[in-house]
Order: sequence, then C-alpha cells, then structure tokens
Amino acid sequence: MFKTARSRFQTWVTAGAGTIAALLVAGLMGAFGALPAHAPPQLPPDAAIDAGRWWVQPARAYVSRAKVYGVALKPGQKALVLETDLTNRTAQSDKAYFNVFKPDGIDLPDPMPMIALARDQTLTPELHPGMTERMAYVWPLAGDAIVPATLSFGITAEIFKPRDNLYGTPGWFNPYRLGTVTMPVADLPESGS
Amino acid sequence: MKIRAIGNLAILAATVALSYGMQVSKPHYAELTAPIPIDGAMHDTVRARSFDVRLDKVVFARTLKTEQFGQERLLTTSGLWAVATTNLAATGTSTTVADGTWQGPTGLRYHQTERLSYRQDMPPHAVDPGLDRSGLFVFEVPPDQIRGASVLIAARQFAPLDAQARISLDALPIGADGQPADVLPEYDMDAAVPSVQGKS
Repeated sequence: MFKTARSRFQTWVTAGAGTIAALLVAGLMGAFGALPAHAPPQLPPDAAIDAGRWWVQPARAYVSRAKVYGVALKPGQKALVLETDLTNRTAQSDKAYFNVFKPDGIDLPDPMPMIALARDQTLTPELHPGMTERMAYVWPLAGDAIVPATLSFGITAEIFKPRDNLYGTPGWFNPYRLGTVTMPVADLPESGS
Repeated sequence: MKIRAIGNLAILAATVALSYGMQVSKPHYAELTAPIPIDGAMHDTVRARSFDVRLDKVVFARTLKTEQFGQERLLTTSGLWAVATTNLAATGTSTTVADGTWQGPTGLRYHQTERLSYRQDMPPHAVDPGLDRSGLFVFEVPPDQIRGASVLIAARQFAPLDAQARISLDALPIGADGQPADVLPEYDMDAAVPSVQGKS
C-alpha cells in the first residue's frame, strides 16, 4: 500500500514539474499577453473614491458655451465641465490633480484641462491636507463636437512609496487606471450656468 | 582548534549585527538633504543663513477682503485664514524670502496660499541687509491645526541644506476649546497695511 502511495506521489511530482515548466516557458515567451485585459471597474458616482493622494467625489458634469468659473473660451468653442470635490489625503499641500480625470471617447483638442477652484475661480491652486474643495475641470471642445448624454470619466490614481528606487525619498509613483465613473452630461443653453 | 572556530563565528556574527545596525540606522537621502531647521519662538529674531525673521503676530479671520484689478474680492475658506506678520531683513546680501509653511501639531504642512494675486506685502519678499521690512505670510488652515503649530519660513520652497526658520506658535492665545481666542469675521488686507508698517 505504501509502495503504491509513493509511486503515486512521484507521478504527481513529475507531472507538476512539467506543468510548471510549461507555464514558465509560456509566460517568458509572452503567451499571457494575448489574454483579454481586465476592464477598469465602474466606480460609484455618489460616494467618495480613494484615488491615491486624493479623495474624489464627482458632483455634476455639463457642457457650457459661456465663460465658466473664469475660464474664457475662444469664439465658437464650448467646454466640457466636470465639477468634483477633491480632498488632499497627503500630509502636505499639493496640486497634482491634473491627470486625475480624463473623459473617455471624446476628441479633446487639448487633453490638459483648465482647473478652477469653484469658491473664487482661482486657477489651479494648491489644495491643503484634509480641506475638501469643489474644483471644476474645464476641457475646451470644438463647437461642433458631439457630447453623449452620459459620459464616462477615467480616474487615474498613484501609489505611495515610502522610498523610491532612485533617491530613497517618499513620493507618489506609478499612475494606474483606477476605474471609470459614468456621469450624465447636461447641455446648458447659451446663457451659461 | 575548536575555540578558534567559535571565535571566528562570534566575529562573523558581530560583523553581521553591526552591518545590519548601520543599514537600518542610516539616514535616508531625503533626511540628509532636508533643510536645516533653526528653532525659535514668536517675537524672537530667528537668524537663518541668508535672512533674519521675527514673527510679530498672527491674526485669524473667516474671510479675507482684498482688491484685485480694481475689484473687491472676498475670499472664503472651509477652515480659517491665518495672516502672519513678520519682520524681515537680509544678513549679508540682498535676497528674497519666498516660502512659508504652516506646520500643524501632527506635522501636516499647509503651504502658503496661492489664492491671492501678487501683492507688495506677500511673498516673495525682497529683503536687504540692515533694512527691516514687514512681510505677510497667509495660510489657510483647519481650526484643529492651530494649537501646537509652527510656521516654517525659508528663502525658497525647494532648498536642500539651506536654513529654515521654524517658529513655534505656543504664545498664541488659544481658547479652552482649542480654537484661537479671537477670530475676525473679515480681515481687510488693504486696511491692514498702515498698521503693519508702523510696527505694533
């Protein structure tokens, strides 16, 4: 009985080693790159989202044809505006919120938004630790651009490293796509908001 | 022979322990190149490398009134505005003092506000040796970050191995609830200028 158990064990080991070797070779040759990538998850639009150094809570999105939060538009342009609450989760004042939101499936003339403080229209101020502020992301669009009634915004987060690999200093690195938030987009008439 | 082997092992173990201790206690690059703090208190002159600074008073307000392009602006905040009045002078040569940070009791760092447009009495302050001048540093801080805070003043924001005045605010009158003793409903930046210039 022990003899059969031992031989069965040897069979298992041999077969397992072969399988592991096959998986390793396939992985090294890049076979798993052909797997379908996981789609980034849908995030709830009505709850604060932990996005690395920011808590974000989108409030509303709309298309404006007039000056919005002090951001002047060129003639014939309109703007996609996303208003969101941002809270600095780090220990120091920071303004690295430019790449947090990106609208998906829209042709942007300039991917870099103008970002204004809703409180008094200051452009891209530093946000202080733990002090939530309503910010408006403004992407100028061509006047004839078609904006769907619901739009998904990709959210990019970063990870904290207490020591980076180059200098051993703490910081936020490796941006990755955290997920998407789908928002209804209102179309405001000419008179503006 | 046996004693020798044990001795060698003991030396090896001691070397490993010493090396490990040196590795874990080695300061990080960020600490090696951090600004050099120079501690001080309110109303004392703190001598940094390139400038002297004396923090005279801190006023707390719920809103700031300022004038920009001929229009009056009221700046609100979710916390409190802290307006720190300092007396500045250069030590050896004319220079600028540009960086102020409010450090809360737990080490949170609130950089000076960027919501005010350029003003003569706001950073960067141009300072000259022997000529004292007053300069404001304006911060936006939550009320729970005032007791036990300190103000960090440096010549530049990223200044490794340069001096940083670290002025503790223990002398501030704080009420029993941990909030500052008096908070103005509104602080007029422009009305405040004459009283600041004549030293109080």
